[in-house]
Amino acid sequence: MQWWCSADSGPWTWTWIAYPGVWAFVLTTAWLHRKYARHADTPMGARVAGWCGVVLLWLSLDWPMGPLAAGYLASAHATQFIVVALISPPLILIGARHGLAARIGAGGAVARWLTHPLIAGIAFNIVVMATHVPRVNDALMPMQFGAFAVDVAWFIAGIWFWWPILVPVPHRPRFAIPLQMLYLFLGTLVHTGIAMVMLVHDHPMYGIYELAPRATAMSAITDLKVAGGIMELAGAGVIFGVLTAMFFKWSGGSGAETKATHGV
Amino acid sequence: MRALILIAGLTLACTPPKPTALELRGLKLGTPIAKPDFTLTATDGQPFSFRERTAGKVALLFFGYLNCPDVCPVHTANLATVIRGLTGEERQKLMFVFVTTDPERDTLPALRKWLNNFDPAFVGLRGPIEEVNAIQQGILFPASFATEKQPDGSYGIGHGTAVIAFEMDDSARVVYPFGIRQEDWAHDLPKLLARKR
Repeated sequence: MQWWCSADSGPWTWTWIAYPGVWAFVLTTAWLHRKYARHADTPMGARVAGWCGVVLLWLSLDWPMGPLAAGYLASAHATQFIVVALISPPLILIGARHGLAARIGAGGAVARWLTHPLIAGIAFNIVVMATHVPRVNDALMPMQFGAFAVDVAWFIAGIWFWWPILVPVPHRPRFAIPLQMLYLFLGTLVHTGIAMVMLVHDHPMYGIYELAPRATAMSAITDLKVAGGIMELAGAGVIFGVLTAMFFKWSGGSGAETKATHGV
Repeated sequence: MRALILIAGLTLACTPPKPTALELRGLKLGTPIAKPDFTLTATDGQPFSFRERTAGKVALLFFGYLNCPDVCPVHTANLATVIRGLTGEERQKLMFVFVTTDPERDTLPALRKWLNNFDPAFVGLRGPIEEVNAIQQGILFPASFATEKQPDGSYGIGHGTAVIAFEMDDSARVVYPFGIRQEDWAHDLPKLLARKR
């Protein structure tokens, strides 16, 4: 039994493996979400969205997606990245944001500084860039602690990145929707760039996936291209979906939101 | 400050030089190995004299078996992918020869079918295991051996995981152990094909 999914040099089998570390991490996230989603201002729809985020996080980290992503398929790894960093965090924040805002209201200047859009955007992109460097990925994924570090870094960076958009921070003006849209667009340029490199690369970039026994009929280079396509299309789909919603909200003339208003 | 300079100097001195673009990325052999002279049965049922049939070509020799769960299919697939990217002229001067270390289970038709998954031009050879082991030991590779049988009757074969590259002068100066990447093959194969010693 392993506590976290890591790259295994053996051939892929559909034999279930227990990953108690994944369960502990997801249960902790669920407990925190439940704690903050119980805030009186949280509508039922937001709570449901938050629980969907927790379930998606669990599905993307546990068997079979977890081990496939850790050691067999770059395309599974890319899918996991999209879910763990770009889909699950905003859903969880939607559920927990009122509770979190109340908590941060009692928090100090450090918390407000950490959730500043500039800091959050830079931190997210540093994590995305560092964890996609082939040497870093190839060195970390064979170790349970290394794979755990990558997965958790993605999730924390995702929470960090989406926080300025979704969680009102007391004592700081929320930036206007056009600026939020610019923040989202700029914030995802790095992962789009990485996806482009994957799409045009002549040879497999990651040794872990190139030298792993094939789990599907896809060759290692096709797998890399699919990974690039997933990062490009699914990543862009998530971001541009949010951007489109924001645009219509903004152009719809929601006066209270279009002006730079104060948070809670 | 002096300590810093000393540390920097030591670091530089201890850092192995990076291979230049002209150097091969495979594992270099201290002493070149002569191309072995052996004849085994090819997948068309005909005798195949390795030394004669690969004369004037770069011959990549690999020992493995079809039930291998990891090294053999991955190593062969990576090499096949890079060979597909070579020019037609380069491919004519290159021959990949796969010798089975499991002649008991690897029949000639099965060998042909397996190799066709990667490249129909790949050569598959089969012969008595004693003969195959003698060939391996002759080029300083370990002899292959069967692992303990499982309750379901299956077993594995322990074998060397390197592809040995015999150049056009019938000598091998470099081997490619498992772990070599496609980009390394793509770097080295044109250079091996261009070398005429």
